[in-house]
Amino acid sequence: MVIRQTVVMIEGAYLIQAGIEQLLNELPGLVLLEVFEGSEKSLSEKIARLSPDILIIDTNSLKTDFVPLINEINKNPDCLTIGLFDSSTPENVKSHFKGCLNLSDGKFELLEQFGQILGKRPAKKPGLSNSSLSEREKTIVKQVVNGLTNQEIADKLFLSIHTVTTHRKNISNKLGIKTVSGLTVYALMNKIVDLNEIEHR
Amino acid sequence: MLIQKEIKLADVIHHDYNLIPVLNRFDIRLGFGDKTIEEICIEKNINIEFFLTILNAFHDRQFFPKKHLQSFPAKLLIQYLNKSHLYYLEEKVPEIEFSIEQLKNNTDLSPETFTLLKNFFEEYRNELTNHINNEEERVYPYVQKLEDAINSGKISDTLIQEMEEYSITDYEEDHDDVESKLYDLKNIIIKYLPSSENDNQYFNLLKELFMLESDLNEHSRIEDLILVPKVEAMEFTLKSMKS
Repeated sequence: MVIRQTVVMIEGAYLIQAGIEQLLNELPGLVLLEVFEGSEKSLSEKIARLSPDILIIDTNSLKTDFVPLINEINKNPDCLTIGLFDSSTPENVKSHFKGCLNLSDGKFELLEQFGQILGKRPAKKPGLSNSSLSEREKTIVKQVVNGLTNQEIADKLFLSIHTVTTHRKNISNKLGIKTVSGLTVYALMNKIVDLNEIEHR
Repeated sequence: MLIQKEIKLADVIHHDYNLIPVLNRFDIRLGFGDKTIEEICIEKNINIEFFLTILNAFHDRQFFPKKHLQSFPAKLLIQYLNKSHLYYLEEKVPEIEFSIEQLKNNTDLSPETFTLLKNFFEEYRNELTNHINNEEERVYPYVQKLEDAINSGKISDTLIQEMEEYSITDYEEDHDDVESKLYDLKNIIIKYLPSSENDNQYFNLLKELFMLESDLNEHSRIEDLILVPKVEAMEFTLKSMKS
C-alpha cells in the first residue's frame, strides 16, 4: 500500500516551484498541500496548522533568518524537513535539515535522493493510522465537548497540561476534526456523549 | 492558458467554468455573445488590467502576481472583496443550507444527526457573517481612509489616532477558526456520516462545500498577501509623512 504523505513547500521562485511539483508528481502518495512563498506572516504557525509530513524549504525564499523557523518546525519529530541547496551551501546550513536536495542535480539523482530521504523516515506510530480513538482519548473528547479548557482537563484527570495537549493533537489528527464544535458533532454522532449531558452543563 | 484581453469571454468560460462566479463580481452578466474581454470591459467601464489579473489568479493557482496586484488602488480591491462577500452570504451559504435541508428526507440519517449538521453549519454561517461584517464595517473603511489620506496628502489627527489604536496586522490572525470549521464539516461528511443509498445528496453538499472553500481560500489569499501588505505600506508612508 502506498502511504499518503502530505507536503508543504516554501519556495518563492516559480521555476523552482514548478520543478518541485513536477518531481512530487513522480512519487506516488505525496500530496502537496500548500506552497508558501516565504514572506508570509506567522509562517511557522501556518505550517503547524497544516502539520505536513514533509516540509521542503528554500532558505533563499525566506525574508527572515531560517534558523528560528526550522527550530520551531523540528519540534515536531514527525515532520521531515528537506532543504534545497546548491554546491556552494555550507555544511552548517545543511545540518539544520533532516534531508537535502541538490538543485543542480538531474532528475534521476533527485528522485534517488528523495527516495533515500523518504526511506529514512521512521515508520508512523501505529496508533496514528488507526482512526478509532483510545478510551483515554474518548475521555478527553468528553471533557472538551463539555467546554473544559486544557488546564481544567489536566487538573481533573491528574495529567500534565503537556499530555493533554498531545492527546488533543492526536485526536485532531486521527479524526481530521480541529474545532470544538466539530468534535461535539462527532462525539454526539458516535455516542461518546449524549445530548442531555451537554445541555445540562 | 494565460487569459488575455483579445480572447472572447465566452471561450474563457468554456475553458474554465470555475470563473463564472468572478463575472458577477464585476457586474458582467451572461449573454455577452462573442465579445472579447477588452470590449466588455470598455462597455462596462471595468479596469481591464485588474479584471485580467483576477481572472488569471483565479484560473491558475501558481499565477499570483503579488507586486502587480498590490499596485492597484485599494478601492478596486475592496470593491472586489465586497462583491465576493455578497456572493458567499447571498448565494453560496443559502445553497448549502438548501442542500443540508434536503438531507432531512434521507432515511439513513437520524433526525438527531440531521439537526447536528444543521446546527453546526448555522454556527459556521454566523461566524462567517461576523467575520465579514467586521471587515466591511471596520477594516475596509479604515483602509479606504488611509488611501484617501495618501491621495490628498492630508492626514487628520483622528486618522493618526485610529492608526495607533488599530493596525491592520492584528486582523490577519482571525481567519483561522472559520477555515477550520469548514474543514471539519467536510471531514464529518466524508468520514463519519452513516452510509446511505442516497449518496447523491452527500455529494452535492460536499461539492458545494469544496467550491466555497476554494473560493474563500482565493479570497483570503488576496486579503493576506495583497491587501494587508499594501495597507502596512500605506500606514508606514503616512506615519513618516507626519513625522
